[in-house]
Amino acid sequence: MSANEIIRVSGLKKYYKGDKIKALDGVDTVIHHGEVVVVIGPSGSGKSTFLRSLNLLEVPTEGEIYVNGENILAKGADINIHRQKMGMVFQHFNLFPHMTILRNMTIAPMKLLKKSRAEAEALAMELLEKVGLADRANAYPSQLSGGQKQRVAIVRALCMQPDVMLFDEPTSALDPEMVGEVLEVMKSLARDGMTMIVVTHEMGFAREVGSRVIFMADGRIIEEGEPRELFENPRSERLRTFLAKVL
Amino acid sequence: MKAWFADFAADFRLNFIDGSMWKWLVQGLKNTLLITFFALLMGVVLGVVVAAVRSSYDKNRETMALHKGFGYYVFTFVNGICKLYLTVIRGTPVMVQLLIMYFIIFASSRNDILIATIAFGINSGAYVAEILRGGIMSIDNGQFEAGRSLGFNYVQTMLHIVIPQVFKSVLPTLCNEFIVLLKETSIAGYVGVMDLTKAGDLIRGRTFSAFLPLIAVALIYLVLVVVLTALVGVLERRLRKNER
Repeated sequence: MSANEIIRVSGLKKYYKGDKIKALDGVDTVIHHGEVVVVIGPSGSGKSTFLRSLNLLEVPTEGEIYVNGENILAKGADINIHRQKMGMVFQHFNLFPHMTILRNMTIAPMKLLKKSRAEAEALAMELLEKVGLADRANAYPSQLSGGQKQRVAIVRALCMQPDVMLFDEPTSALDPEMVGEVLEVMKSLARDGMTMIVVTHEMGFAREVGSRVIFMADGRIIEEGEPRELFENPRSERLRTFLAKVL
Repeated sequence: MKAWFADFAADFRLNFIDGSMWKWLVQGLKNTLLITFFALLMGVVLGVVVAAVRSSYDKNRETMALHKGFGYYVFTFVNGICKLYLTVIRGTPVMVQLLIMYFIIFASSRNDILIATIAFGINSGAYVAEILRGGIMSIDNGQFEAGRSLGFNYVQTMLHIVIPQVFKSVLPTLCNEFIVLLKETSIAGYVGVMDLTKAGDLIRGRTFSAFLPLIAVALIYLVLVVVLTALVGVLERRLRKNER
């Protein structure tokens, strides 16, 4: 394991219904600190399953996942500790509707990291300030627009001060005019050096912010590389057809 | 009109005042409330336990199956027991369950109020369990995932994120179950409990006048249910206020 490696995945497989459906069919990759890895591919290619496997929201059928050198699938590994260090942002935001924005952001740091209310709220307000939502701290999620909800979801995950952030199609459920504000937050996060793994259909984001793009199809990584190289000189037929459709 | 009032007063005296028969209604009401309250308590405790087992089994089966430890088999077994309980209790009439309790299971005891309470509690628990499980399942799975992805374990996620939402959404249905339970206890007379219904019926047997005792009993049930519903309404409004 190299010093700046954060996640190593090998031989990852996820089968449903016996082995009829192969959502993941042998995925190997390594994620390094500070990388922004963008995962693209047609729907059903396994990219979301891959992302959700990394924090075991999806339990793989086979394979190994090492986070900071520790096998998180090993017996006795504490997945909850790992998840505290891996923030996740969902397509449908998944804010807690019965709590204010501020409470959404402080509950995990207070209960899990044993931070004091003052300490947790100070960090939450600082992050809300950054994404321009400080004035909504005491609002409830139902009072926010989609774009605002997703920005809150991002800073909620950041409140746990994670080592890596996972994004599962963060802009797919948004109205077009709100996509920009969420991507902007993600870009500034990338600029600050956060390690990010992003499943998205936003090719512009992949090209502009991604340090590496992974193209998946049929549960496998078909091609990966630097964004410019991958978009301009796709080697595989699958990627060429995919890019022809989405660009 | 005057004659009607005189008749009514005479009837009233005959059914409630003479022989202090109103005391039977009071005693019956006391027993009905006693049985309902403790059956409710028992039903909620049983229901919470069974719902917790059933829904956490369904949610965690996949993860546990990963390393089939001893706990996995124990859990599977307990889940099976819960399923059997739900099937038997919901598949047979409460009346039959009450009779079985009284004449078979507790045949040696003649503490009829206690036996009735246990029978209704066990019965109610099955329905409460399914109401709660339905409530838990109605919460978007994204809420679980968001909780777990922050690092909360299963129990913490349930406690801090899911249960508060479940409680709000199942409250009307749960209230309905309590109303059903209150009225269901009216069959307790079959095993010799003098509950409210039985008291009214005893008066009817004594005076051979059916109208007033039975209407009085019906009115008392109605008032109880209306009060219960109003209380839950207040609680519901208070919970909603926290949302916005």
